[in-house]
Order: sequence, then structure tokens, then C-alpha cells
Amino acid sequence: MYNEVFDKKTPRKAYQDIITWANSLPYNTLIKKKAEAENLFKKIGITFSVYNNFDSSERLIPFDMFPRIITKLEWLEIQDGVTQRALAINAFLRDIYNKCEIVKAKKIPADLIYMNPAYEIKMVGVKVPHNIYSPIIGTDIIRTDIKSFKVLEDNCRTPSGVSYMIENREIMMRMFPELFEKNNIEPVENYSSYLNDTLKSLAPKKCDNDPKIVILTPGPLNSAYYEHSYLADTMGVELVQGSDLIVEKNITYMRTTQGMQKVDIIYRRIDDDFIDPISFNENSVIGVPGLFHSYKSGYVNICSAPGSGIADDKAIYAYMPEIIRFYLGEEPKLSGIKTWRCSKTADKNYVLNHLDKLVVKEVHGSGGYGMLIGNSASKSKLNVFKKKISNNPNNYIAQPILDLSSVPIFKNKSLSPRHVDLRPFTLIGNRKRKLVPGGLTRVALKEGSLVVNSSQGGGVKDTWVLKN
Amino acid sequence: MLSRTAENLYWTARYIERADSIARLLEVAYRIHLIPNTSEGYLNEWESILSAAGIKESYLNNYKEISKNKIEYFLLFDPNNSSSVKACIESARNNLKMVRTAVTLEVWNTVNTWYHEIDKYDTEKYDTKNLPMTLDWIKKQVNLIKGTINNTQLINDGFDFIYLGIFYERADFTARIIDVKYYILLPSSSYVGTQVDNFQWSIMLRSVSAYRGFKWAYGNSQIDYTKIIDFLILSELCPRSIFYALDKIQHHLGRLTKFYKSDNKAHRNIKAIHKGLIDSSADEIIEFGLHEFLTKFIDDMSTTYSDLEEVYFLGIDK
Repeated sequence: MYNEVFDKKTPRKAYQDIITWANSLPYNTLIKKKAEAENLFKKIGITFSVYNNFDSSERLIPFDMFPRIITKLEWLEIQDGVTQRALAINAFLRDIYNKCEIVKAKKIPADLIYMNPAYEIKMVGVKVPHNIYSPIIGTDIIRTDIKSFKVLEDNCRTPSGVSYMIENREIMMRMFPELFEKNNIEPVENYSSYLNDTLKSLAPKKCDNDPKIVILTPGPLNSAYYEHSYLADTMGVELVQGSDLIVEKNITYMRTTQGMQKVDIIYRRIDDDFIDPISFNENSVIGVPGLFHSYKSGYVNICSAPGSGIADDKAIYAYMPEIIRFYLGEEPKLSGIKTWRCSKTADKNYVLNHLDKLVVKEVHGSGGYGMLIGNSASKSKLNVFKKKISNNPNNYIAQPILDLSSVPIFKNKSLSPRHVDLRPFTLIGNRKRKLVPGGLTRVALKEGSLVVNSSQGGGVKDTWVLKN
Repeated sequence: MLSRTAENLYWTARYIERADSIARLLEVAYRIHLIPNTSEGYLNEWESILSAAGIKESYLNNYKEISKNKIEYFLLFDPNNSSSVKACIESARNNLKMVRTAVTLEVWNTVNTWYHEIDKYDTEKYDTKNLPMTLDWIKKQVNLIKGTINNTQLINDGFDFIYLGIFYERADFTARIIDVKYYILLPSSSYVGTQVDNFQWSIMLRSVSAYRGFKWAYGNSQIDYTKIIDFLILSELCPRSIFYALDKIQHHLGRLTKFYKSDNKAHRNIKAIHKGLIDSSADEIIEFGLHEFLTKFIDDMSTTYSDLEEVYFLGIDK
């Protein structure tokens, strides 16, 4: 396992100060600060909801005070890699909903696109403003050795977590200001204004004035509602629900105290299926009837575009190196992870025979639901997955079990290493790219666990990118 | 501003004010308890309090008898009571959560903290001994929230919707509380000047926290019903009077019409009601019939609310 902090027994250079600080922190202070941090999170209302059948109550995301540090050099590597991927993803989306050159060039099997449930046939030929389909991309990055970072997953629908990136920093700065005086840490607070600029550059064709941006949320019961309201607040835009919007003669308006006001750009945090009951799922009560027609008529932009989800499909993931080469003519700067697609017979057989050494994921799953980690699963669970894979191979992919790098957490009176990943957020506007130096570090709180998702008991850390 | 934002701000404020009113009502209950129960009439006060809070029926559906402990619990915490203080706090917070971006972080913090802390007071077994402390805490939080609103919110249209909520609730609550006991404010030869009479009147004043204020405003003279009617309905000095609430509603609606550069019927009707109060005297109200006057007032206010709703909360072009 790659330890980000220690090289054998000695702390790496970037972590030397912080280790000294952590070791000198009296246990009482630690306990006090931890309670203080939790209190702050609760008071501000930084909570998330967990979906299950019994309880939809609000919970605090566990926050660990030991920061994760990324050097400038490491950051440059990540920055170049994720930006490259984000550009390739947008080029790919534009292509598969228009000319489909990548299929004609036989770089990707046609079935994988046309038979993919995430491929949105209604988007074919639709003119997307400035050809940007997915302006906000969260890339999950892991590290298994000192040499390089790897991409575990792309998230190009409505990636969440960016508010934690910012709030974790706010809370650390409040509790330990002395750390920020000494270390040269890149600020992350500009994210909202970058996001605002990015969205503003994506005005639809039929927009004459300064474009009016809104954020569309499913409502306060959604697990990421705090983030929706945080972004709206810091961008200075309205946070709307479906019922606040109305489409008349293909123009989208919001209901205000002064009557109807035109809306130009919608940063939607609602899944494709629910945005418009007329064009998509007719049972949706959180969407806006007629929105998709308004979009197609060029009166409003929906970010991300419907159908963007195919680009972060786990089966497409295996083709990302090809996609990057095809559209950008470059070699991928960040490597991916070996992926077996169970839809291919040879791959399926390999997976079934090596189940205890693999991670199996549902192709369209997210949030760590429906996942199998072979080496820690019980026999019966392995058998369940064997059956599932045999019955519906197209629905599964497998990857090797990766030994994620570790950063310690404060555990009782000492530091104890835990696995982490990193999610930076890339913004792609019209001729603009922005990446805030930072990201969300998720940490598995259980010893040895590789699952970092907050819905599965993971926590978060403040992430520092050093200036030099 | 989004129509829903305006509406949520309005209701947040109404629930905050309502929690405060119920706490003040409970203070009266507490006081009744401390006075030796020499007359049978006192027990009726409990029923009046339930009626004033508009929950007599739902209380009787849940409990067979009128008992001090149960009423207190019912008004404060009972999950079966949708207008308990706790339920008001939850509703206020839920409304505010929908529009978090429309208030400052400090305002959100005060309301959110109030919500998280009410549970500490809602221990499994209700203990009546904690009542004074609990009530003090509730009122203190309300004052903190209102102060934070005054000191940190932008004085924009959202601010006006918050204040409309507060004063609509207050006008309504004061009108209802007078209406529940309107008969004790009517001249009747058998009551006037008796001890029962004085006691009832002081309860009435205390239930809107206006007892001391009354003394200051009218000197320490004998309490009498015309003065009380004047103070609770027509006084511009009493912060809980119907007139004061109307004056504020008119002020904030007036600001909105200027802000949005368009007048509307809600504003015009409020102005008419406001003028009607200026032109009235306590004697005229008594002559018209106190109960009739209050019923009409409550109806008129609900009409102006419908107008307000139509103009600002539906968000459709007129």
C-alpha cells in the first residue's frame, strides 16, 4: 500500500510540518476541536440524506481533521489529466449524438453506444449550445504507487461533493488558522464564481440579455440539497424547484413576485429522466413540462445536456484511452484501470473464475450501491454475484482490487492510516476551462476498507494543494 | 424574487411568531396555576387557552380530561398536535430550509439551532417544573432570531415578506385571543368591579404580554374594559395591538409596491382596514358588537391574504 504521508518511518517532505503539528496536538484539544467541527457542520446544516427504506433523516458527513496534501507537481499532473479527459468527453458526446465518427472508424463497438440505456435517442441531432454537453465533471482519482495517479471513474452528469471541498476548508481555517499562516495553500473558495463564469459562457442561441442562470434542485429531501443551496447562494442565483418553472410557447420562465421572468441557463441537479414529464418519465413530479422542447428550440440551456450520462458509463470507461486518442490526437495523461466487461464472453469467464480477486460493479450503478469487493465478501455473497453475472452479464464490469493509497485519520490518541481517493472538479465553458486547485478527498473510516462513499460510511478531509 | 421564496419566508416568519404566541399563552396557564383555586371559574381558563390556540378540539380528541400537565405537554411537544411549539419550530425550519439562500447564514443558524435544541427540552417524561425555563428559552430564541433578522438581513423585498408573516400572525392571534374571551369585555352589571372581573381582565392582558404595558400606558388606574379594548385593538403604543400589526403590514406592503413599482388590491384593502381602525373608537366597537367586529376583522384579513397570495405567491403575469 502506498502511504501518502510516510516513506517507511519518515514523513514525506510535504507532510513534515503537519505531522509535527498533529503529534503535538494535545488529546484534549483534539477532542474539543472535533466536537467544535461537528457542531459547526450541524449548525450550518451541512448534512446529507441516506436513502433506504427506514430512514431519510439528515446525517452529518464524518469529517477528519488531518488534511490531505498534494504537491504542486502532483497537482499539475492531475490538472492536465482531468482537463484532457473532460475535453475528450465533450467531443465524444458531440460526436455520438451527431455524426458518430468514432463508430464509423470502428474505435468503439456500435452496440456499446446504440444499445446503451444511457444513450438518449432524443438528443440525436439536437443543437447543444457551444457544443458543451457536460460542463461540470468530477473525476475520481486514486493512487496505488508513487509513480502516478489513475482515474477510477468519470462523473459527468451531476457530480456532487464540491460544497464539501469548500466547507471542509472553511472549517479547517476556522479551527486551525495557524496552519494556513505557515503553509502555502491554494485557496478553493473561487469555485462558485468560476462555475458562474463557466455557465454564463454557455448561453443558448435565443438569449439577448445577460443570461439568467438558475439551479434546479429536486428539493430539500435530496441527499445533496445542502450543496444545491450552497452553490446557488454563493453564485447569487435562484435555487428553483420544478414547480417554480413554467414553459409557455417554448420559452422557460420562473415564477417571481413580479410575474414571469425568462430563464436562460439551468444548472440542473435532477436526473435526465425527471427533468420533463412530457419528453421523459411521465410520472415525474419534480420536472418541468415542456422543458425539453424549450431546450431544443434554443430558448434555454440545460447543463449538463440530457444524455451526457453515457460518457461516464462504466462500460464506456474501458474505451477512454481510445476516445482521448481519437478526438484529441494525444496519449492519455492519466491512465485508467484494467476493466473486464462481462458482456464479452472471454471477460465474463475470467471474472467468474477470479471473483475473489476482483471488484465487480454494476454498469449503471453509483454511490457504491450494488458493488462487490471479492476478497472481503462472504462465500454466499460471491455466489449471489456469480448468479447475477451469469444471468445478466451486460450489467457488470470488473476491475482488479486496487490497494488505494492511505492518509492517516485521528483515531483515539494516535494517527491511523486509511484509504483515500480524490475528486477534483473540472469546469468546461465556451473556450474556457477552469479547475480549482483542490478537490474532495474521501476517506474510508473502517480500517482496511476500500469503500469511501459517504452513503457507505465514508468520511471527508480537507485537501490542500501546495503553491510551491 | 422567486414566488416560492417569498411564500416560504412569509410562512417561516408566521411559524416563528406563532411559537412565540403559544409560549406566551402558556405563561398565562402557568400563572393561573399559581393562583389559589378559590372559584370554580378558574378551571375554564384552561379551556380558553386551548380555544385561543385553536386546538381545543384536537386536544379533546387526544385526551379525555382537562389537565394542566397534559395541556402543557400538548401545547409544547405533543406529536399529535400539529400546532405545538415544537411543530411550529419544525415548520419554520422546513420552510426556511427550502429558501436557505434567501436569508443570511446567521439567520439560518439561529433557526437551525433552535430546531436542534428543542429536542433537549422534549425529554421523554414531561416535567411541569421545567415549564418556566422552557418558556424563557423559547421566547429568548424568538427574540434572537428576530434580532438577527434585523441586524443581518438585506432590507429588500424578502425582508418585507418576513415582516408581513410576523404581523399577519400577530394580528390574527391577538384578534382570536380577544374573541375567545370577548364576553368578559362586555359591560355586565353582575360582573363589573368584582374580583373575578379584574382577574379575567389581567389574564387577557397577560396572554398577549401587555399587562405591564397597559399600566404604563394608562397609569395605574383601575382596569376597565373600554381601556382594554382600546389598548389591544386600537393603540399605537402596544406592540401586540391589532392596530400596530396593521400599521406594520401596511408599511411593508407599501414598501413592496414601491419596490416593484406597481400597486395592487392587497395593499389597497389593507389601507382601507388601517384607515377604518384609525377612525374607530372603543365605544364604537362595543356598539357594533365586539364579537362581530373581530369576526369581520378576521374575515377581512383572510381576504387580504388571498389577494397577497395572488399578487406575489403565484408568480403568474397579471
